[in-house]
Amino acid sequence: MIITRSWLSEYINLDDISNEQLCETLNSIGLEVGRVVRYDIPEDIVFGYVKECKKHPNADKLNICQVDVADEVLQIVCGASNVRKGLHVAVALEGAVMPGGMRISAVKLRGVESHGMICSASELSLVNINDGIIEFDQSIGNIVLGTRLRDNHYLQDTLIEIELTANRGDCLSIYGVARDLCVAFDRSIKSKSNKNTDETSIGIGKVLQLKHPASVDANLKFKVLDIKNISLAFLISLRLAQIEYKSLNTADAFTAYTTHECGVILRLYDYEYFKAQGQNDKAIVSLESDTNGFLCVQGKGRASIVGVMQEKDSLFNKNEGLAIAEASYVAPGLISDQMSKSKIERSSSFYLSSRGSNPDLKMGLKLLFLLLQSYGDIDIFGGTAEVLNHKEEKVVVLKLHEIYDIIGAKIDKKKIVNILQKLDFNLEKSQGDTFIAAVPKFRHDISNKQDIVEEILRFTGIDNIEPKPYLLKEANRLSEGYFRFKKLKHYRHKAAYNGFFETIHFIFAHKQELVKYNFDTVQNKLDIVNPIVTTMDTLRTTLMLGLLNFAGQNKKVGNQNMGLFEIGSVFTDKREEVVKAAFLYTGSFEQEGIINSATSTIMDFGHFVQLISNIIGEVTLSKATCKHSLGHPYQCADILQDNRVIGSAFRLHPTVQDNFDLQDTYMCEINFEALSYETVHVKAYSKYQSSFRDLSLLVPKTMEYATIKKIIQQSKPGEIIRFYPVDKYEDKSLKNLSSLTIRFVLQSDEKTLQDEEIVSCMDTITSSLKDKLGLELR
Amino acid sequence: MKEWYQKIQSAGCMQELEELRIAILGKKGVLAEQFAKMKDIENKQKAEFAKRLNIAKSEFNKLFNEQKTILQARELESLLKSQQIDVSLYSATSNSGALHPVMQTMEKIVEYFTSMNFSIEMGSMIEDDFHNFEALNLPKYHPARDMQDTFYFKDEMLLRTHTSPVQVRTMLHAKPPIRMISPGAVFRRDYDITHTPMFHQVEGLLVDKEGTVSFANLKFILEDFLKYMFGEVDVRFRPSFFPFTEPSTEVDISCVFCKGEGCRVCSHTGWLEVLGCGIVDENVFKAVGYKDVSGYAFGLGVERFAMLIHHIGDLRSLFEGDIRLLGQFV
Repeated sequence: MIITRSWLSEYINLDDISNEQLCETLNSIGLEVGRVVRYDIPEDIVFGYVKECKKHPNADKLNICQVDVADEVLQIVCGASNVRKGLHVAVALEGAVMPGGMRISAVKLRGVESHGMICSASELSLVNINDGIIEFDQSIGNIVLGTRLRDNHYLQDTLIEIELTANRGDCLSIYGVARDLCVAFDRSIKSKSNKNTDETSIGIGKVLQLKHPASVDANLKFKVLDIKNISLAFLISLRLAQIEYKSLNTADAFTAYTTHECGVILRLYDYEYFKAQGQNDKAIVSLESDTNGFLCVQGKGRASIVGVMQEKDSLFNKNEGLAIAEASYVAPGLISDQMSKSKIERSSSFYLSSRGSNPDLKMGLKLLFLLLQSYGDIDIFGGTAEVLNHKEEKVVVLKLHEIYDIIGAKIDKKKIVNILQKLDFNLEKSQGDTFIAAVPKFRHDISNKQDIVEEILRFTGIDNIEPKPYLLKEANRLSEGYFRFKKLKHYRHKAAYNGFFETIHFIFAHKQELVKYNFDTVQNKLDIVNPIVTTMDTLRTTLMLGLLNFAGQNKKVGNQNMGLFEIGSVFTDKREEVVKAAFLYTGSFEQEGIINSATSTIMDFGHFVQLISNIIGEVTLSKATCKHSLGHPYQCADILQDNRVIGSAFRLHPTVQDNFDLQDTYMCEINFEALSYETVHVKAYSKYQSSFRDLSLLVPKTMEYATIKKIIQQSKPGEIIRFYPVDKYEDKSLKNLSSLTIRFVLQSDEKTLQDEEIVSCMDTITSSLKDKLGLELR
Repeated sequence: MKEWYQKIQSAGCMQELEELRIAILGKKGVLAEQFAKMKDIENKQKAEFAKRLNIAKSEFNKLFNEQKTILQARELESLLKSQQIDVSLYSATSNSGALHPVMQTMEKIVEYFTSMNFSIEMGSMIEDDFHNFEALNLPKYHPARDMQDTFYFKDEMLLRTHTSPVQVRTMLHAKPPIRMISPGAVFRRDYDITHTPMFHQVEGLLVDKEGTVSFANLKFILEDFLKYMFGEVDVRFRPSFFPFTEPSTEVDISCVFCKGEGCRVCSHTGWLEVLGCGIVDENVFKAVGYKDVSGYAFGLGVERFAMLIHHIGDLRSLFEGDIRLLGQFV
């Protein structure tokens, strides 16, 4: 919503209010200022009058003008196409400095002296109204030649754009904003509509007949007028340009101007459009609902849809003749609802009607006629044709203490009354401390107590409310959500300490990419209808592609070694939300430097799993095949905790690695829900010394450690509390065998183990490995 | 003897000292030689001679030990010196990873509200129209729905546009008093310099008996919270509009960059909008079947907080996984 200071001043006295105060007040009452433009016309630009205008002898496009600026008559050579004798113009005198910094001085143009410049609107940094120089008229007040433009408040104006919230249809007009400001500045609104507009003795009934069904849920008023002459005044052009409205013709400019001023939706129809052929001179205006349920005004064809649009053909498009003026109102809820059922093309009047136009139709028509009379010559037929079916009467009852309770502070009752009355609430029926407030019809946003309290709060000033702590009843609010949050925090922090950077990826994915790498996708029938870009056309079913893309992006800007992780939601093919944790490590895991003599170690499977284990605790790996095609077929494992598969880890497939231009890369994705976040319960531990023994076995190259591990686990005596592989060695002499060294840790709960006891334990292992797998010691 | 004393004191290394010890105290050493002379000495003088020799012996021992301590210290010193390194070579940068600024900021926010006895509630990202809109006083085609363009699914479900449905669900299954926050990711169909289709919110809700929760309470906690987050800033409340609260306000803080003087970040206004809040609209309570209650609600965008706190200029950089940014949070 764009307002200008001069336009606003037609309804509220702002003489003692600075622009800063105005903006501050608008903000404080909830009309947020989004943009302020101050039109600052330079000194030495004055009103002039073109007394004579002759063609330049040596230039086709130039004219030599004699311009009266009161003190003298200046000869000015002007190149504008619209310059002519009899115009009131803006003259930059010699010495004037234009907004762009150019200084005006006397020059010779093709041999003719020119003393000054006749200005266009853009040369003065005003909004662009027309091509060529400005043509002033009396619409900006009596023009006194030689006086400065900057002393005219219509020109030296301030434009303010308000970012209006969706509920405040009542402020979609100059009048509406002025009404709010009148409460804030505690002054009365100036009225225009009490001025008289004379009507002729011919009644409307003789020239117009209104046909309508009984059930019209809207208000419409029609008047007929005889337009003798209308022309577009400078002020109207200026202001329509300021509010960025492009009018279709003169009649449209007048109605748009009036609508912006008062908020009533207005139209001017060509009378002829409603005249039935072969009948007497009467025009027939009929209201009918169309197949979509919208109320239409019908003449020869559809003339308009109430609250939505007007057909161009029905527009009054002449300088004289009979016209029908219409003011309409339809409830915002109704029109939005209808639009939701059957979308049709909208226009600026729908924006207004769906947020709530001004229901004061009489005021709208009156202001339109006053404007037409000011800048044209019209006769208005007596009487009005109308339907006034829609009634919105809302009464809200609230008690003084309820106001106090909601705000949390006491506010002077007189002040409350003053605010509500200035906002046009009718409080006549109020009793004692009970307010019975009839809500003004233009306030569609107000229907309950809290709505009214908001009005009081915004004009009392929120800054004046003393903050108060809420008195709390003690309660344990450590909900399930709290522990989920704590668990998330726990693992995120551990991941960061272990060298991974946390990332956040949109939960969207590119379906094509998911398919390319054989990931599940959300079922088509459950997918997104309106993706924002094709690369985010579905929900992600894995975190890994996001990490991979990030790694690729980082590589492009020169970072090739990094760990990345994300803990976040992904979706199953049935679109169920599950939380996963994914990790990626690419390149070397230490920086090259003094400590490693410039040779850093590239990440490998073992180190990667070690890092993951540092974060999520002890893990067991078992051979697996990736469902997706990101994984290296021979370096891929299921991750198990407590004998349950909780995720997988793999080396990135070399082809994919090349696609993303990465070095050796390892990834893993884990079901976050499967990770534990429980209290540690300490187990009893032996007080006696532990010992270890290493066994080196000759193992066929094809035999997996998992096989050996299983046998040891089955046969190991209780004294062996832990065992793990420590070395694997192959050379030519071993042929198709390799040497595997396994370390056994032995400890007893009862005593320090003697050598012979240890040897006996180890013998058990050796013999069962020999019996069951045929393995020999090296 | 004196010359021997001096020799000991000027011994330069342990080996030299050991050689001297053998030369003096060894079996064929100087002292042994002297003791051997005893047999030739008359008894009368023997005792005196022996006494002198013993004194000399203990004097030697004392000198040896003293010199040994000195030499050991000197040798240790030279060993240590040989182990000297150029410590300045080892200035290190961290090898650890880092937490994402948005998640860190979220943690900081959540910590404040849990310390103020708010519970944390979480919900799912996929929601239905009722919980995301209708129950929040946002009927279909309400003009306010324009403010939040929504991602829809083919089965008419949608991606939540705010975390408010969590509030609705909490109210539907619990009785007041309620004092909760809901942190999480939300989605709007908007993608440009200042909007991403996904971002994070923390929303809060307090519900108690009618007449107990006021706007002044809301003002108290939010002023305190914003000072906790941003330090000593001025806080300003401006009337605004949200369908689910009435009265509604937006909350500004004095610009953290220019201290309210006016700069590019605050569009020369001196203020930064950081929060929306208000008194819960009675229609919201009606939708969840609450009667005779009062409450406040507030909501904030975590990315905006993170950007203001850490001076991050580009919103989109938060979703690029770029370690040039993330590496700064180590």
